Amino acid sequence: MISIENLTKSYGAHQVLKGINLKLASGQVHGIVGENGAGKTTLFKCIAGLEDYGGNIESSFSPLKNHLGLLPTDPYFFSKITGREYLQLLCNARQQPLAGTDEKNIFDLPLNQYAATYSTGMKKKLALTAILLQQNEIFILDEPFNGVDIQSNMVITGIIHKLRSLGKTLLISSHIFSTLSDTCDVIYMLKDGQFIRQAGRDGFAEMEVEMRRFTVGDRIERLRLG
Amino acid sequence: MNPIRHYFQLQFTMLNRHISEFGLPPWLGYLLSGVLFVGLSFYLYYQTGYAPYLLLFWAFGFMANMGDRNRNDFLKSCYKAPEYRAIRLLENGIIALPFLMVLSIKGDYWVALAVIAATLILAFRQIGRGSNYTLPTPFHRWPFEFAVGFRKTFIFHILAYFLAFMAVKSGNFNLGIFSLVLVFVICLTYYQDMEVAYYVWAHAQQPKVFLWNKIRTGLFYSTILSLPIAATLCLLKPGYWHIILVCQILGYAYLATVVLAKYSAFPKNIGLPQGVLLAMCFLLPPLLLLAAGWFYRQSAKKLQTILP
Repeated sequence: MISIENLTKSYGAHQVLKGINLKLASGQVHGIVGENGAGKTTLFKCIAGLEDYGGNIESSFSPLKNHLGLLPTDPYFFSKITGREYLQLLCNARQQPLAGTDEKNIFDLPLNQYAATYSTGMKKKLALTAILLQQNEIFILDEPFNGVDIQSNMVITGIIHKLRSLGKTLLISSHIFSTLSDTCDVIYMLKDGQFIRQAGRDGFAEMEVEMRRFTVGDRIERLRLG
Repeated sequence: MNPIRHYFQLQFTMLNRHISEFGLPPWLGYLLSGVLFVGLSFYLYYQTGYAPYLLLFWAFGFMANMGDRNRNDFLKSCYKAPEYRAIRLLENGIIALPFLMVLSIKGDYWVALAVIAATLILAFRQIGRGSNYTLPTPFHRWPFEFAVGFRKTFIFHILAYFLAFMAVKSGNFNLGIFSLVLVFVICLTYYQDMEVAYYVWAHAQQPKVFLWNKIRTGLFYSTILSLPIAATLCLLKPGYWHIILVCQILGYAYLATVVLAKYSAFPKNIGLPQGVLLAMCFLLPPLLLLAAGWFYRQSAKKLQTILP
C-alpha cells in the first residue's frame, strides 16, 4: 500500500505536480493517462525517490525504493554492457541471486550482446526482465508497451495480470488507452499536474470518450488540411 | 551559414559549456589543457624511450572515440557525404595537431607520420562497424565500471602489458613500474563519469555499504588486472619487492579515493573542487588520507538523498 498526499513538484517557477492525492492498494493495477508533459514521469520519479518533492508519500515498505521496480520510459544502458551483465548488475543491486538466466529470458533476448545495440523494444524488455528478477513488491512501469512488438505486448499484459494475482502493487502509464483498460483496475487522468478524473473498470469506456473529446477537440480542423 | 562552419561553432560552444560546468572559465580550461598536455608529453619523454609510441596510442584513442559508430551514423544522417568527410577529417586533424607538434619537436617524424595515417584512416573508417563481437571480461560477477571500462580501454591494457613484456625482455625495472602504474591509471578513468541516477537508486543499500562495495569491487578487479605485472616484476627484481608493493598500495589508495571523489559530486560529474583536491593528492600522496575522509563524508551526504 502506498499513500500519496498533496504531492507537489516544481522545476523553478514551473509547477509540474499540483497537489496529487493517490492511494495505491496491493493486488491492484493503477493506470495513469495524460498528454506529454502532464507530469506522469515526474510523479513516478517522485514516488521512486528520484526527485525531491512537497507533500507526503507513505508506504508499508521501508524504504519504499528498495521494494520498487521502476521501468523508465527510455531505459539507459552503458555502451559496453551486455544484456546478461545488466541483469546481473540490477540483481546485485538488490542482493537477489541470479540463477537460470537463460530460462528466465522470456523475451528471448540476445543476452550476450551489448544492451546498447538492442532495439527500443528489446531495451524495454531487458529492463522489464531485470526488475522482475529483482522480486520487487511494487512496480512502476512508465510506458511499458511503447516500441514493443505485438507478441511481447501480450506477454507484458500477462505479466501484469500475474503480478496482480500475486498481490503486487502496480502503477502504469500509457498513451494507448486500450492497453490500460485491458490491465488496470482503476485509471486516473492527469492534466497539468492534477488528477482531473478517475474511473474504475465500469467507467473506462466513458473515460475514453471524454479523453478523446478534450484531447482531440478541434485540433485536426485547425490544421485546415482540405 | 556554411554547415561545416556552423558544426564547428556548435562544437566549440558545447566544449565551452563543458568547461564552464567543470567550474572554469573556458579560456582557463584551454590554457590548463594545453599546459597539462605539453607537461605530460615531455614527462613521458623524460620517463621512457617509448614515449612517442605512447603518444601515438593516446592520439589513436582520442580519434577512435570520435569514430564511434552511433556518432558517425548521426553525422552521416545530418550532412551530405562531402561535408561529412570534411567534418571527420577536420575533427581528427584538430586532435592530431598537438601530438604532431610534440612529435616533430622531438624529431620522431616516423611516429608523426603514423599519427597522420591514423588521422586519415580513422576519419573514414568507423570503429565497431559491422561487428557484434562482445569482448569477454573476468568481471561478470559484479559488472559495471570494470566490465564497461575494460571493454572501452582494453587496447591501453594491451599497451601496458606490452610495456611490461618489454621491461622484462630488456631488464628495465623502471619501465615495468611504469606499466604497473599505467594499469592503475587506466582503472582510475573508469570512475570519471557519473552514472545516471537510476543505477545508484536501484541499490537496496545505505550509502556507507554502497560506497564500501564500490571500493571493494574496484580493489578486487584492479588486483586482477595489475597482479600479473606486479608478480612478474617481483620475479624480475626480487630485491625491489618493496617498491612494487608501495606502487600497488598507492594504486589502491588512489582508486578508493577516486571512487569516493566521484560520488562526492553525485549526481554530477567530478567538478573543480574534487579535481583540485585529487590533483593535489597526486602531487602529495599523504594528502590522500585527508582527501579520502572528506570525499567519504561528502559522498555519504550526497547519496543519502537517493539511498535513504
